[in-house]
Amino acid sequence: MSEERMKRRELLALAGPTAAAFLLARPYDAIGQMVGGSAPFNDYRALVCVFLFGGNDSFNMLVPRSAAEYGAYAASRAGLAVAQADLLPIDALNPDGALYGVHPSMPHLQQLFAQESAAFVANVGPLIAPTSKAQYVAKSVPLPPQLFSHNDQQGQWHSLRGGTLSDTGWAGRMADLIRLNVASQQLATNISLAGNSLFQSGDETVAYTMGATGPLSFQGFTGLGGEQRRAFERIINASYDSVYARGYAEVQRRAVDAADRVTTAIAQAQTLATQFPTSPLGQQLQTVARLISVRDRLAMKRQVFFVSTGGFDSHDDQLVNQPTLLGNVSTCLQAFYDATVELGVAQSVTTFTQSDFGRTLTSNGDGTDHAWGGVQIVVGQSVRGRRVFGQYPSLALNGPEDVGGGRLIPGVSADQYAATLARWFGIAEADLAGVAPHIGNFAERDLGFLT
Amino acid sequence: MRITISGGAIAIVAVALAACGGSSGGDSATPVAAPTPSPTSTPIVTGITKPEAFRFLNQATMGATQAEADRVIAIGYEAWLDEQLTRPASLGLPHVQSIAPPTQNIQDLHRDRVDVWFRNAINGGDQLRQRVAFALSEIMVVSQVGALGNLPYAVTSYQDLLVTRGLGNFRDLLDAVTLHPAMGVYLSMLGNQKPNAQLNIRPDENYARELMQLFTIGLVELNLDGTPRLDAMGQPIPTYSQPVIEGFAHVYTGWTYAGAPSLPQARPTAQNQVVPMQLYASYHDTGPKLVLAGVTIPGGQSGTQDLAAALDNIFAHPNVGPFIAQRLIQRLTASNPSPAYVSRVATRFNDNGRGVRGDLAVVVKAILLDPEARGAATASTGKVKEPLLRLTQLWRAYGARAADGSFRAFATPSASLGQGPLQANSVFNFFAPDFAPPGEIRNAGLVAPELEIATEYQNTQVTNAFRAYTFNRNSRSAGLSADAIVIDIEAEAAVAADGAALVSLVVDKLLAGQASPTLRSEMLNLVGRYAATDAPNRAAQAIYSVVTSPEYALQP
Repeated sequence: MSEERMKRRELLALAGPTAAAFLLARPYDAIGQMVGGSAPFNDYRALVCVFLFGGNDSFNMLVPRSAAEYGAYAASRAGLAVAQADLLPIDALNPDGALYGVHPSMPHLQQLFAQESAAFVANVGPLIAPTSKAQYVAKSVPLPPQLFSHNDQQGQWHSLRGGTLSDTGWAGRMADLIRLNVASQQLATNISLAGNSLFQSGDETVAYTMGATGPLSFQGFTGLGGEQRRAFERIINASYDSVYARGYAEVQRRAVDAADRVTTAIAQAQTLATQFPTSPLGQQLQTVARLISVRDRLAMKRQVFFVSTGGFDSHDDQLVNQPTLLGNVSTCLQAFYDATVELGVAQSVTTFTQSDFGRTLTSNGDGTDHAWGGVQIVVGQSVRGRRVFGQYPSLALNGPEDVGGGRLIPGVSADQYAATLARWFGIAEADLAGVAPHIGNFAERDLGFLT
Repeated sequence: MRITISGGAIAIVAVALAACGGSSGGDSATPVAAPTPSPTSTPIVTGITKPEAFRFLNQATMGATQAEADRVIAIGYEAWLDEQLTRPASLGLPHVQSIAPPTQNIQDLHRDRVDVWFRNAINGGDQLRQRVAFALSEIMVVSQVGALGNLPYAVTSYQDLLVTRGLGNFRDLLDAVTLHPAMGVYLSMLGNQKPNAQLNIRPDENYARELMQLFTIGLVELNLDGTPRLDAMGQPIPTYSQPVIEGFAHVYTGWTYAGAPSLPQARPTAQNQVVPMQLYASYHDTGPKLVLAGVTIPGGQSGTQDLAAALDNIFAHPNVGPFIAQRLIQRLTASNPSPAYVSRVATRFNDNGRGVRGDLAVVVKAILLDPEARGAATASTGKVKEPLLRLTQLWRAYGARAADGSFRAFATPSASLGQGPLQANSVFNFFAPDFAPPGEIRNAGLVAPELEIATEYQNTQVTNAFRAYTFNRNSRSAGLSADAIVIDIEAEAAVAADGAALVSLVVDKLLAGQASPTLRSEMLNLVGRYAATDAPNRAAQAIYSVVTSPEYALQP
């Protein structure tokens, strides 16, 4: 084992010494793929995934406000409907002239939309192939397994794995695909500020995880003339019989390798005039902005950041809790967008949401249950803003997309959403199916929300 | 007098299983003979070595200690387990109720809840109960994080439920968990009402879904050995459909806090959050309800009758044995049990040998006495020891205590350890049972659930926490407040001038005398860099090096 790692380390030294920690130790035979180069990216692009854990009730976030459509919405949602007069009106540039409003707690999002820096993608969710209600009922098309289950549908958004057992996420696969184009980066392409996620899990690369306010240093490591650290490293680099001890040691190695480099770099981050909310999501996005400000010091050309906020599983007390949750998302997205403007990277940074699923249009009394398709937000100057992409569905119960209780079949797939983001990120056309495995099943490979 | 707290186990004859049909041999499996031939009570020489005793105790308790190892070596594994089964449960509610409630922030009482959790985990004589309760708290999850933040009594009482009933019958446990207000609030069965067609209101599906997905049967049909059953196309077979979820959602209507004037008027009090929820009949749906195995619970029954029928229906599902066996094995002994191991434990779940299904004491004994838990360790036996258990083992081995006798200084362990007692971020626990870190473990088709929270960031935090709890919080530290939790390093300090003796003592207490040559030599190296008279730092250094090492993070 250690011999294999040694060989790998020697090989990786050719690609750039700092990259080694973020590529996975793998059996020797897999390394052949690393030989043969691709041109380095010469521009900078970052994707920021804001995951709304629990399943955002997004049909209360973007609501139709024309009379007939609002009427259908109000009839379906009954006690959970946002009053028509309370909706914050937005005027989309869509040629169909449909009228929408956003949830009253989201004035910042309304503003981002109006200034063409934000767009919505409507009724998007995991699909394996285009699916009609008749096909759903007849089970004549393959469906993502375990619809309506939190962890399974989170897993679908993260991995786009459909019915397979894939252990990689679509951001992890993007990092794998571009690993030679970014060989001089001193940090992993994927950075999480919200723990391990399947989304960023790759076969060839591994994400680097830090806290909401950045990385930590190991305390006391300078002690005993630096021997404290050296001894610690010798212990974690020793060979162990157990895969679990080795797995634990591997994380410790990555942590020790990166801690100094990242803390040193982030200490030189630009002081931002932009004020961020003090919520955990605000803190995470502020740290992302600070990391972006030191991108050149770390030779970063492509980055995917994972941040998250939870509490969206509104089975209960939805009318009390949803305004706070959506309000936080709105102010955080605005602050982060402002920070990218301040840093001069608003065109190079695209922020997008994902969430477990949409929620039932019908109520369980004071909340909603797990459903399927929903609405997501994209923000940035590369976004073709002030538009609603995809297909905003009928919100009438038993409508063409409703499979029961107001659970809506997505009109566009998470694969299409991801492929659109991946193309913008720089994934070659021929590699898109490696990111979004079912993209070939859909006519539209690009939903058009990015320029 | 084998089991003092059994809660009146319900004897459900294994034959009831046949009704579900189709299970691959679940009905016909021959019970496996009790696997470990250790003596039961006579204090003869057991032949158990100290490393073997430590391994067992790190599976069965909140952390191996010398004293407990001596007991295991003296009487053997099974007798030790039987002895533990007679120990009275160490509870938390009496302590939390003895604290004057804060007038402003009731959530501050969680500090006392966590305090008493640690008191019991570190010093409780019912170590098996505490460990099994901890395991169950990571399967049937409720958490202080979220709506229960304001219901500290409920969360304390839920922990007590797991401690008292965790070694009883699983069917009783299901009943108690389902009707506990902590679960009622956490998964929103509390206050759930029958449908109202005019308002498009249907029953809440939260508890209906998660009880099956996470607590009892899982998403796909299982063989007795925990592997998925496959259909003719080679695909896994879902255990339930959306209409079945809706059927159960209708069952779980009409319940809320006891003693309220009506269901909508119920509000939590210090008293009603620690007693089972009560049925308010007019809010219960009385129509027929589709449940598992094609069964329909007839209409017109009371909510209590519906609930009993529904939980019986789930309990009879052939998945429960292998599902719970696998979950408990993963929490106690092994991340990757062999199918044969799961099968042996599931068989004991299905029939404890006396015709009783769901006898958790027998299941836990089967897990801990199995050849796979007791036999020689291989590269993939065992599991990662989660951070909270790394800390409780240290604190137990080193008699950690604060001058004021409390553990109140450590109220939010999740901030430094990434986990804490009943403090998960969601019902999906701190980590998923199928988490496979990229690299060697995933490539080998193995899982390591605990590594999901072992991120670079979290590992650094845990490592730093151990630095604080060794170097800065020991019996030689000066100027600490009365609530500072300190480890007792006096024995180490006494021999600290002799580096080799110090290293041996620490390795003995934490690793049963078995450290790798690298760890031992680096400990000697580091200890030797302090003055021979600097006993506190020498001792702390030796302990720190062990508790931050990969071999201590392993539960073999």
